[in-house]
Parts: sequence; C-alpha cells; structure tokens
Amino acid sequence: MTDEHLDRVVRDADPFRPELIGHLGGAEQTLLEEIMSVPQLESVPGPAPEAAPAAPRRRAWRRLATAVAAAAVVTGVIGASVLLRDQPPAEPWAGPVGLPEAGAGGGYQLDLKAVEGLPRLLIQQDGWKVTTVYGFASESGTINFVNGARSLEMTWYQDEHYDDYYKDRLLVSAPQPATVAGREAAVFTYSASDFAAMLKPQDGTFVELRTGGTWTRTEFDAVLPHIARADAETFLAALPPQIVTPGRVHDEAAKILTDVPMPPGFDINSVDVAGANDPYQFGAHVTGQVTCTWIAEWIRADKAGDDAAVKKAASALRSSRNWKVLNDMNAEGDYPEVLWEVAGKVAGGKVPEWYKDGLGC
Amino acid sequence: MSSGTEHEDRFRRIYAANFEALLAYAVRRVAQHEDAADVVAEVFLVAWRRARELPPDDEIRLWLYGVARRVLANHHRGGTRRERLGERLRQRLTGGTAPAAAGIADPGLEVPQRLAVRAALARLGDTDREVLTLTVWEGLQPREVAEVLGLSAAVVRTRLSRARTRLRELIGDDPQAPGHVFDVLTVPAPEEGR
Repeated sequence: MTDEHLDRVVRDADPFRPELIGHLGGAEQTLLEEIMSVPQLESVPGPAPEAAPAAPRRRAWRRLATAVAAAAVVTGVIGASVLLRDQPPAEPWAGPVGLPEAGAGGGYQLDLKAVEGLPRLLIQQDGWKVTTVYGFASESGTINFVNGARSLEMTWYQDEHYDDYYKDRLLVSAPQPATVAGREAAVFTYSASDFAAMLKPQDGTFVELRTGGTWTRTEFDAVLPHIARADAETFLAALPPQIVTPGRVHDEAAKILTDVPMPPGFDINSVDVAGANDPYQFGAHVTGQVTCTWIAEWIRADKAGDDAAVKKAASALRSSRNWKVLNDMNAEGDYPEVLWEVAGKVAGGKVPEWYKDGLGC
Repeated sequence: MSSGTEHEDRFRRIYAANFEALLAYAVRRVAQHEDAADVVAEVFLVAWRRARELPPDDEIRLWLYGVARRVLANHHRGGTRRERLGERLRQRLTGGTAPAAAGIADPGLEVPQRLAVRAALARLGDTDREVLTLTVWEGLQPREVAEVLGLSAAVVRTRLSRARTRLRELIGDDPQAPGHVFDVLTVPAPEEGR
C-alpha cells in the first residue's frame, strides 16, 4: 500500500462529516455572540510563573504565550509552558543563539544537568541498545531500545497527564499489575504480540513502555525486571556514540560541517541544538542553522545590491546538494529534500515565504 | 492601539474563517460529538479574551489548533470550566455520530472499514497518531504539524514516516478486516458532570 493509498484510507475514516455544518441551525452564530458577550482581558497581569526562559528571537511569542496563560487563568484550561512550545520563530532569523554556559565542568556538565530531570530508565540486559532519543531536555521525550528484531520504546510525560493517559489505555485492554524499576505499573495488551506498561508517576514524570516488533507476553514479562533507573553518568554512558548530547554539540557540528561553506560571521560555537539527538535530527538542526544564515546573507546582499555577496551565497546554497551530511541523511527522511528545494529557490533568486518554517530557522 | 470595534471585527472574521476547522478538529478527537461544542467554545473564548494579542491571520489557525490541544487535554482529564457556553451548539451535536446527528445517511458498508482504520489509529503512539491525523484530516504540512505539536519539522517527518509504516502493518492490505474496534481515538468517556 503506497503512502497515498494509506492516506486515502485514513481520510475515509475521518469521523467528521462536512455536512454537519449545514445542520447546526445557527448554533454557531449563537455561540459567537455568547463568547463576545464575555468581558475581554484588557492587560496582561505579569509574567506567568511557568514561563520558561525564552531565547531572544522568541521574545514576541513569549509575550503572547504569557498573555494566553493569563487568559487560561480566567477560563481555567491551559498552561503557559505547553503553549510556549508552540511558537513559530519570530522575524527575522537572527542566527543561532548558542547553548547556555557550560560552567566549570565543560560540556559534560551540560549533559549531566540535562538528564537530571529524566526518568533515566535503562534495560540492563545484554543485547539491548539505545538507537533513538527524542526530547531529552524537554518535559516529555522518547528513548528507543532495540535487540534484534524486537524493540522497546520508553516515552516519558509530565505526571499531570497520567490520569488522562491511564484512562485512555483502559480502552486498549484491562490493566494487569506489574512492577517496573521499583515502580507500580500496569500492563496493557494491544494484541498477542504487542504490549505496553505504564509506570506510576515519579519525580514529575511517568513512563510508558511500548513494544515494537513481535513479542510474546512471556518475553515482555522477562524483560521488565531488567529495567532499572540509572544515575545520570550511567545513563549518559549508555547512550550510543552517535547520539549527540549538549556537551558534544560543537565538536560534532564541526565534524559534519567539514565540507560545508560557512556564512560570513557564522560561529560554530554558537550552534544551538538542545537535548540529545540522533544523527538525523542533529544534522537537520545544524544544516538548518547554516542554511538559514546563508539565506539571511543572500537577502541582505540582495537588498544592499552586493552582487558578489549574492553570488557567493547562491553558490553556497547550491553546494548543499553535495554536502555529505545531507546525503547521509537522505535515506532516513525528507529534511534534505526540503532544504535543497529551499536552497535552490533562493539561489535562483526567489525566497520562499515558508522557508523559516520549512528549515526550522 | 486599534479600537475595540476593530478587534471585534477581526475576531468575527477569525471565527467565521476557522469555526468549521476547529469543530472538525474537536469532533475527530472527542468521545461524544456534543463534547466538541465545549472544546470549540473554550478555544474561541481564549481567543476572544486575548483578541488584542492574537498572531497574524496567516498563523491564527495553527495557533487555534495549539490552544485546542490544551483544551482537549484538560477535557480528557475531566477538567472543569468556569464558563458554560455553546449549549445550543451542544444540543445540535447531541445524538451520537455526526451523520446521525445531522440526519445524514451513512452507508452501512463503509462503517466496518472506517472503524477498523480508527481502531488501528488508536493503536499508534499518541504523537505519531496526532502527526498522521493532523496531516491527513486537517491537511497540514509537516512544518505546520510541527508548529501545532511543538516539535521540529524534522521530527515530524520522521514520525510521519513511522506512523504510516506502523499503520500499514496494523491494517495490512485489507483495511476492511474489522479487528479490535475502538470508535474513539484517544479519548475516554468524559466524566465531568453535565
């Protein structure tokens, strides 16, 4: 089944029917009037306590998120910290903002700090390897373990979502009690070969394990006792060498940018990649920042009528087709294709309006 | 500073342009269609209260989806609301499935297939499912999905590829096989009082 066919099947299963709109009998207009009769907030009462430190280029959106948080206080629905993650970058792209100061311990201290707040569960049994990490420095994330044809994905979430997720999983199957890493857990059965275990919250997060590949329940039960909480150093050491942690960002960036022309004023030490990333994610972050900076340079030079600089930027952008890191990434996802499309358009004299979103500038 | 009337006019425009999309978003993700009325009311109430500070028009729909996600999360947790708006809309949506509520014929043959696909979707990881449904149902591009979910576009593309692969495995080449059916993707029956 092709992607197109699959998408069509999913589209056919859409629970919403547009015809519904024609049967509302004006209820939507009534709602509009009801909403507009509610007093608006006239001012923003100070920063929300949950508001995370924001990078300078995101300041405008931080203001809005704070404002929305204030609205949420009134309606009692949403928190500011989650909204802050939904920000598109503000204009203009001002270059990477750099990592926080590492302190006396250098990059490794950054890494230790980054994993301090994580559940840090590892499968302490021969044969299991970490292949993928998402999140890591944020409030939720995923770490994937693989052993032959079987995999086990551990996803952690903020503890406030536990009840929601637990109730949702009750739709999957009846829970069966288990103990994982010393925590009470519930095992859910998706099928005879697919299982999950949800641990009760601890230290602000809860963890859900989910099988990948074909498992038996006996195999799943046999692995659970080998899952244990590790200290920060052990956890970091268990990550495979290709996972780039904050302490290694600059060294790794320098490695993958060897054949990439650097935009004027671009400092590898200012490359900004939060969390732990596999090579694909890391490559996307880093090449994105370089390309965004080249596009900014092209726009500057074009405005200034600096033909030599325009040509240089266009040539650098065209060369992206040959950047080793992008070609290495190309089998795994579409980011290189998007980058090449944008780079080609800019080099051809037209900056796509969506380039910042497309590249993550 | 623009006048109150300008803000009101803009809000009316935003509401008119986005009501259907937000209702669809909510209907797709709640257990009972009438609950979509609460979600839509809450989302637009947040937007109305902050009408003076909303993002530009070309960013507003993604922003509303982002708000809707938070409202839904609260709804799933049985969260309570201070306001109770949209009662009439709730009544219009009451009655089970959308086609039934709207008096629209729903060809019976399609139902098992749709339910089987929804059951398979329910078995995806939460983020993978949301990436796929925002792509197919809401018609968003990866960069837009990324904005709504607070992920990078690169992560979204990877997740989308994984979600399709997993869904393909789950439904096989015969999506008509009903399998284990869930009519709701992520949402337990709401517990909050009516």
